[in-house]
Amino acid sequence: MTDDEMTDQEMKCEKAIELLPDYLQGSLDDVRMKQMEAHVAQCAQCGDEAALWHKLGSMPEVQPSPMLRSRFESMLETYQEGRWEKANLTSERNKFQDLSHLLNWVRRPSMSAAWAAVLVVAAFLGGKYMDRGGSQSPDEVKKIHQELTDMRQLVVLSMLQQQSASERLQAVSYSRNWNAPQTAPDPKVLSALMHTLQYDQSVDVRLAALDALTRYGSRTDVRKGLIDALEGQQSPLVQVALIDALVDMHDPGAVQQLKKLQENPKLDPSVRKRADWGVTQLS
Amino acid sequence: MSDEELMAQVRSGVGELLGVLFERYHLALFNFYYKLTCERALSEDLVQEVFFRILKYRHSYKPETPFRAWMYQIARNARVDHLRKRRPETSWEPEMSPAITPDDPAQQKQETALLHQALMELTEDKREVLVLSRFQDLKYEDIAQMMGCEVNTVKVRVHRALQDLREIFRGLESGKLVRKAGQRRTGSWTGPGTLQ
Repeated sequence: MTDDEMTDQEMKCEKAIELLPDYLQGSLDDVRMKQMEAHVAQCAQCGDEAALWHKLGSMPEVQPSPMLRSRFESMLETYQEGRWEKANLTSERNKFQDLSHLLNWVRRPSMSAAWAAVLVVAAFLGGKYMDRGGSQSPDEVKKIHQELTDMRQLVVLSMLQQQSASERLQAVSYSRNWNAPQTAPDPKVLSALMHTLQYDQSVDVRLAALDALTRYGSRTDVRKGLIDALEGQQSPLVQVALIDALVDMHDPGAVQQLKKLQENPKLDPSVRKRADWGVTQLS
Repeated sequence: MSDEELMAQVRSGVGELLGVLFERYHLALFNFYYKLTCERALSEDLVQEVFFRILKYRHSYKPETPFRAWMYQIARNARVDHLRKRRPETSWEPEMSPAITPDDPAQQKQETALLHQALMELTEDKREVLVLSRFQDLKYEDIAQMMGCEVNTVKVRVHRALQDLREIFRGLESGKLVRKAGQRRTGSWTGPGTLQ
């Protein structure tokens, strides 16, 4: 190819590049459309880009789970029943999400045994309630409530031992629903979450545990646990999330651990960057 | 009934008509998010969030203005809010990358997986402009309005996104592109209107 021909080609390409996006969306007039077709047929780069555009168009659509529709329908139902305006919007929305998580969770085949246990205990507690003809004192109601809470925690703790990462994930997310942030968390659940954060083999589950734990960031023991957890983490993802959480909690006690992290020569560069940022934020 | 008529009814309190809009758009929205994030559960959460916001902010819809552009604006905002929570400047690989099965006998399936991976390798802003213009059937004018920029800027971005995608796709096809953690071109989200 001579130099002249090359220049000619480049000129054409320059113009074509300008028109290419419109050509791809089919919004050019007939004359230009034809010119572009001719160019695309003989220019490797523009031809590749047009081919890629068509390939993208042939990517199949992905179907969502049926849960999407049922969540939408529950939301619409709430709206139509007029509960919408009165209710706290955010908590309503969370309720839908919680409900769908719960449904997903109890549908799992491996959950059936745990679920059966819950039903047995619930039936037992229900029986106790009925025996007394509904005339129990506030103390007794409190006691029954406590027993129910214990039972739920038992389920969460046993679910955290499951083989499947997605079930452990559900357990973590369920522990959040039962433990409102304003109430004191159950020490057993806290320590199980802490153990999960440090030793669970799935990054997703560790991240979820961290997310659940950050709700108790005002507690010194939780903050100390998070600082300790930073030391043993291998996943850059969890390391970054931990640094973020500690910075959010404004705990200067984390600085020492962050500096220790910085000394590790094998540290992932993005974690190093985040650790540097964390040190400046906290000191 | 047109989208705009339906939304006007929803706005004036006929909530059940949102169901018709859901039927028309939930799949497109789900695929919009799925192509951007490669995460199913997150994509479903975000679709739910969009319809929640449509109801919550129904009064902010101006009757007779294009519904789709308004809906995608909400969809983008929902994603921006989500990304903010996730601290966007960090790269989230390799856990996020879609799995590729090189031994897959189905050529088409493999190509789709490669394309999806190549999309995920694009920077956030390029991926978004490509997904909006290619998969969501939005005109460059609509996208420009949504992003608060000139139509030509959108066109340039589409072209650059395709250029990058071509390079990445070729690399993936020939297996030459060896990726290491921390080297991925995830780019950072700079928010609507400031993308270049």
